[in-house]
Amino acid sequence: MLPVPDFDAATAYPEVGVLRAALAAGDWPAVRRLWDSLDWAGRGELAHAAGDVERPGETEHLVTVLRAALQADAADPAAGALLGRHLIAAAWRIRSGARAQYVSGDRFARFHAELRRAEEVLIEATARNPGNVTAWQARVTIARGLQVGLAEARRRYDKAARIDPHHLDTELSYQQMVCPKWDGSWELLHAFSRERMLAAPEGALNAVLVPVAHLEHWLELSEEEDTAYLRSKAVRDEIYEAAHRSVWHPAFRRTIGWVYVTNVFAGIFSLLEDQRAAAGQFAALGPLASRFPWSYIGRDEGETFMWRRSMAINGAAK
Amino acid sequence: MTIKRTDIDGVPTVIAPKDGPVAAGLVFRVGRADEPLARAGITHLIEHLALHGLGLTDYHYNGATSPLTTTFHLEGTEGDVVTFLNGVCAALADLPTDRMAVEKEILRTEAAGRAGLAEPLAIWRYGARGFGTIGYPEYGLSAFTPDDLRAWVARYFTRENAMLWIAGEGVPAGLRLALPDGGSRMPVPAVTSALPVTPAFFCGPSDRAVAYEAIVPRSTAAGVYAGVLERMLFRALRQEGGYSYQVGAEYAPRDGSHATVVAVADALPEKHDPMLGEFVDVLAAVRYGVIDPADVAAVVTKTEAGMSGADRDARRLHSVVHNDLLGYRNLEAEELRAELRAVTPADVARIAGEAHATALLMVPDGRGADWAGFTAAPTESEEAVTGRRHPLLADRSQALILGPDGVSLQGSRSLVTVRYAETALMLAWPDGARRLIGHDAVIAHVEPGLFAVDAAALTLIDAAVPAELRVDLPAREPGEIPRPPSRLRRARRRAGRALAVAANRSANAIDGISPTIRWLARAGLIYVGIRLVMLLFSPIPKSITVPAVVVWLLVLLLLSRTGPRALRWARDRFSRLAR
Repeated sequence: MLPVPDFDAATAYPEVGVLRAALAAGDWPAVRRLWDSLDWAGRGELAHAAGDVERPGETEHLVTVLRAALQADAADPAAGALLGRHLIAAAWRIRSGARAQYVSGDRFARFHAELRRAEEVLIEATARNPGNVTAWQARVTIARGLQVGLAEARRRYDKAARIDPHHLDTELSYQQMVCPKWDGSWELLHAFSRERMLAAPEGALNAVLVPVAHLEHWLELSEEEDTAYLRSKAVRDEIYEAAHRSVWHPAFRRTIGWVYVTNVFAGIFSLLEDQRAAAGQFAALGPLASRFPWSYIGRDEGETFMWRRSMAINGAAK
Repeated sequence: MTIKRTDIDGVPTVIAPKDGPVAAGLVFRVGRADEPLARAGITHLIEHLALHGLGLTDYHYNGATSPLTTTFHLEGTEGDVVTFLNGVCAALADLPTDRMAVEKEILRTEAAGRAGLAEPLAIWRYGARGFGTIGYPEYGLSAFTPDDLRAWVARYFTRENAMLWIAGEGVPAGLRLALPDGGSRMPVPAVTSALPVTPAFFCGPSDRAVAYEAIVPRSTAAGVYAGVLERMLFRALRQEGGYSYQVGAEYAPRDGSHATVVAVADALPEKHDPMLGEFVDVLAAVRYGVIDPADVAAVVTKTEAGMSGADRDARRLHSVVHNDLLGYRNLEAEELRAELRAVTPADVARIAGEAHATALLMVPDGRGADWAGFTAAPTESEEAVTGRRHPLLADRSQALILGPDGVSLQGSRSLVTVRYAETALMLAWPDGARRLIGHDAVIAHVEPGLFAVDAAALTLIDAAVPAELRVDLPAREPGEIPRPPSRLRRARRRAGRALAVAANRSANAIDGISPTIRWLARAGLIYVGIRLVMLLFSPIPKSITVPAVVVWLLVLLLLSRTGPRALRWARDRFSRLAR
């Protein structure tokens, strides 16, 4: 019996569980100890977790704890970054994830107002700690929603890159900005993705940018063209090159972010109908699942994950 | 104290020693901010007329009209000082008004060479009165009469409203200041506001510059704040970011209690967004106290250097007089220096916070700063006046509204209202055009030729606006007077608009057809096509088959991908017609 996909980040990364417990208990010193013990990738994961808090009651509690921490020390890097990221995620939930033309005017106004609140928190956070990569990464995401332009998003990206040149979360945020659906183009998107893959050390997670870019491109094409695009030799070659530089590289490690990366490769191998390669990724994952890329491939992320996994296992057995 | 105080013919005088030629400045507490908009330029014109009779001399002299003071200044021998100041006083007592026309032209030329950032900032912050007046052209120039000038002199250029400074050994022998009596030290004008909320932003006329203006209580530390801001901006925007060429910040006293700090940076259009982003971040860093103490120290050292030397008091004389005239304290040089040395980064941060609460940010056209916590400054009025509606001839959805209280212009997406009771100025042209500028700087420009309005209705405006707010301008060239579009042009526009709408709707409708139906339709068409080809070889007359083939081709084309594309192209063409 294959395991049911588990989307909870805490299953893969115990740090997230520690964060949740500390926040629930309002134990700020514990949050800070955790934050200080992690690298920027780990802190980014904590920020994700703060963004994922969406249940009524829990949200208010989280904001209270974070505001209190800022009250005690306005320069607390963890509190500023986590609050900023939480407010951004809350704003994006207002926008409902739908594409711009389907979002009503009133919702849009509220979305922008919430993003401005987040930006205010993050302007202060980055002013007080110019090296706060997590806060800069959040500001790259906001740049998209507040439409301050590609060049300004790049400035924010560069601020983060100056501290951590291979911060995958920031690269993924900026990558969204260079998509044609925001301020970029296919040329910019693929060039940026490839450039960042090659800049990172071999075996690093960053090569995932290349398949993510192709998934973005694939999603925009009509049903008649998308499969042909993905299976064209040039695109295939790039995807396999990216796999060789990351998930298939001997130096690949299961550091924070690996679950996302492995899910992306599982998804794109499945779309390429390379079931053997997909099965390898699914086997590595076990139950560990991320929302992306399954949200792009099917209606329900869990069902899509299971369906694609069974296809992979059956296909690989042939 | 090395600054001596005395008085000459009742004019308070300050004196400090200086080597070389003597310098002196006669300063009056009157400037552009004192002028009503309809009399703007009167102080400047008087300054020019007072200096005119002095002609060319060997010594260097000049006049300057600033927002709150007017200065007559020279450098030369003691004898030159006596001659110059006697001449100025005599000219003020009996203005050479026969020179008015010529000097007015010179002032117009002078104004044409001026285009700064101070003007839009003044208008957006203060409106069309008081300190806002400096943002406008010298509108009064064509209006005032010799009597207006004499009345202004009698009110402001008096013994009681003047001060003199002398940088030299002492009072030159024989110096008299024969100024009119009977005035008083004039209070500074009230501070008006056109900004309901701050920090605010507006889109400026420059396509290059960002300007940040804030109002702070006058203090030594506030001057240091401006210096620190400049250093931080320069480092971030020019040295590190490479976005800007010009970067600067300046502290300038506004009146007896407050000063204006303006920070400016430029950038090429493609660098506007990151330049503004970096600018906003630097402002935040100063406000939150992320300040390198070395920056504060550098500014203190530089300011101190300007305060040393044998003639340090002589160089301060002008600001000492300014402070006295505006009612701000005057400290000894040593006291100032002690204050300066005591300024800490925490002081600078506190002032930056106070400054930000009053900030007005000018961004390049088409940009915004709401994302950074600035509120858009109002660009139009909240409500229209009640009154008669006179539609715009070219588009009846827009109108001029004339009421007993004021004038409104109702555009398709804009509304401006100027009430007579809140009018700062009305410009009047002989052809009937009127431009009203409200206290809030809102402009209502009424072109009689463009609206369904007759001369009788327009006399309402003239009757309601007091004569002293009216400035008559010379006749415009016929080509400058807007006329309503001709009947033909209007018909063309209407047709263009209708065709564009039709093309757009058809394109959308075709796009809306489901792929299945589209394929079915195409299959049907191919069948019809085959039948048509067969018909071509039958004896049916060509007069029927040729149009049928054309129609068939057209429908096929419309149903293909190029169909909607072609329709949208046609729509754009038609909309151009509609313009």
